[in-house]
Amino acid sequence: MELQDTFYSKSEYVETTTGNKVSRQAQIYGSQNIILNGKVILQSGVMIRGDLASVKMGRYCFVGKGSVVRPPCKKFSGGFTYFALQIGDHVHIGEQSVIQAAIIGSYVHIGKNVVIGKRCILKDCCMIGDNTVLAPDTVVPSFTHYSGSPGMQIGQLPVCTQDLSTDYTKSFYDHFVPSIDNL
Amino acid sequence: MSSKVKIGQGAMVCKEIKVKGQVSFGASTIIHPGVTLIAEAGPIEIGENNIIEEYVNIIHKFLPGHEQSEPVTLKIGSNNVFEVYSTIEGVSSIGDNNIFESKSFVGRNLSIGNDCIIGAGCHLTSTSPIEDGTCVYGKNCTRQKAFCKPSVPGGHREFLTKLLPSYHLLRKNKNPIEGN
Repeated sequence: MELQDTFYSKSEYVETTTGNKVSRQAQIYGSQNIILNGKVILQSGVMIRGDLASVKMGRYCFVGKGSVVRPPCKKFSGGFTYFALQIGDHVHIGEQSVIQAAIIGSYVHIGKNVVIGKRCILKDCCMIGDNTVLAPDTVVPSFTHYSGSPGMQIGQLPVCTQDLSTDYTKSFYDHFVPSIDNL
Repeated sequence: MSSKVKIGQGAMVCKEIKVKGQVSFGASTIIHPGVTLIAEAGPIEIGENNIIEEYVNIIHKFLPGHEQSEPVTLKIGSNNVFEVYSTIEGVSSIGDNNIFESKSFVGRNLSIGNDCIIGAGCHLTSTSPIEDGTCVYGKNCTRQKAFCKPSVPGGHREFLTKLLPSYHLLRKNKNPIEGN
């Protein structure tokens, strides 16, 4: 199944040499602490808080409109710190989601309007449905489908999730093209 | 957009916020970027030591058709934490030491006591007041009396007070004497 083209206005997006497409309306703070490994799409209103701690993102990631990616924090007896946030390759994050996980593996699909609590660990090949609220410190195993509030497992994913996810994010990137009247 | 902002001593207010109307920030309050504060139905007074995170909406507006009524001040107490995307709309009052988790929504005419936790994704629209020490959680917004009080975000605030000035442009009072 071929994905439909998603058009964007060329003046709105900045494209880097590694193929990252970042909207000018995205709010990115502490850019010296943010690594985007290439072919990452950040839409308008996305907020990435690199100032709190470092944020690493793999290849072929997508972050939808209005999502907030912020490193998680923890209070210890000795004090308070923010931790680095790692996101793997081929990760899709839907619109208006709040991501405060510690680690997100590769081939992960996160729906719209999702709240990922502080210090969650999402293993490779998992799926979080729309409107899910994951409680803090949740560990989501591989090949599971989580949904609901609080987020619980509602199903399993096929063994071929890796290939499906790779195909999806790659074709999403290839079909994310400038609109014709702007060429 | 006409706005009158008063910033207390030691408060960190990021420049990238939207303010409409008269808003005052108490001492040591931290406002992250992307916050929207609308004070159409009277001024908003935010107390001391609060943390207001990204994309929080605090909307203080009249009901449609009641635009001519007397303006009321919306008072928000001290040591509250408003997490990412929480929305406060037409609330009558908010006490101290409350936590509004991510994507929580608090509707009209609710008054919130002290030491309450409004869970992530909870949509509160009823008008029965939330008593002191209540925890609201889950998709049905179940209310339960909490066994212990939420911890005061002292360390969190201190950390941000050190960190924010090196990465963000902060708002300052136009007349520095006024803030003190």
